[in-house]
Amino acid sequence: MNTKTIPVGQEIPLSTKTAFTPIEQDARNPIHTDDYAQKQGLRGALVPGSTLLSYMLEMLYNTFGERWLTGGKIKVNFIGGGAVNGDHITAHGLVKSIEKEETGERFTLDLWMENEGGVKIMVGEATCLV
Amino acid sequence: MSLESDFEAIPIGFDLGEWEMVLDEETVHAYGERMQWQNRDLSEKLGFAPPGISINMHPRMQFAKFTSLKSAIWAKSEHEFLKPFKMGAKIRIRGRIVDKYIKRGRFYKVAEFETLDEKGEVIMRSRETGINVE
Repeated sequence: MNTKTIPVGQEIPLSTKTAFTPIEQDARNPIHTDDYAQKQGLRGALVPGSTLLSYMLEMLYNTFGERWLTGGKIKVNFIGGGAVNGDHITAHGLVKSIEKEETGERFTLDLWMENEGGVKIMVGEATCLV
Repeated sequence: MSLESDFEAIPIGFDLGEWEMVLDEETVHAYGERMQWQNRDLSEKLGFAPPGISINMHPRMQFAKFTSLKSAIWAKSEHEFLKPFKMGAKIRIRGRIVDKYIKRGRFYKVAEFETLDEKGEVIMRSRETGINVE
């Protein structure tokens, strides 16, 4: 997509998915099984953080294209109890600044991911030189 | 051994070893399906795997070393993409523990990883903070 059309203060096209990961009862990390996760006070088997991160990375690739592959940076915190299978989650990115550099413009975005209840499950920041 | 004593025994600088991953078509396709990656042009036209395809190896590397650790969750995740993950390439991932701390009764450990291509050039740098649950 053409990033020139995205000014400061505007969101990049969001990405919505139904969170899903196969549940394996013998998972090495039992936080990804319902019984264990519920004993830890969670709603159910946690969708791995790497899966949620991948949803976010796809949104950023769709915006920045190959530039993301050779200069994208992302930093996120996992919060809000995470996601379980079936949660409808949306990744957001809001352009916070665009600064000129020698070889292009550096976009800085506030990132967040929320579930259908509006609970944020990931917050952070990304930058990309375009 | 308890969660606390196991945590105390982890040395800063602990080597998590080096793992390999081949980005063959089957692996990339399976990853794309599992992650609901809808943009097929990346692999089919450009010949690249989705960025971060190797990130889910990082917790596996830790569980392989910390055999008494039953469960952990991610708290923070940070990545810098330097070069594309080329389809067909054999990549290497190496990691080490760089910090650990206890906050509000929770046991945090921080690990850094480098992912390298076949030439030995770093294609992704990562820093992840996890919480040992049990």
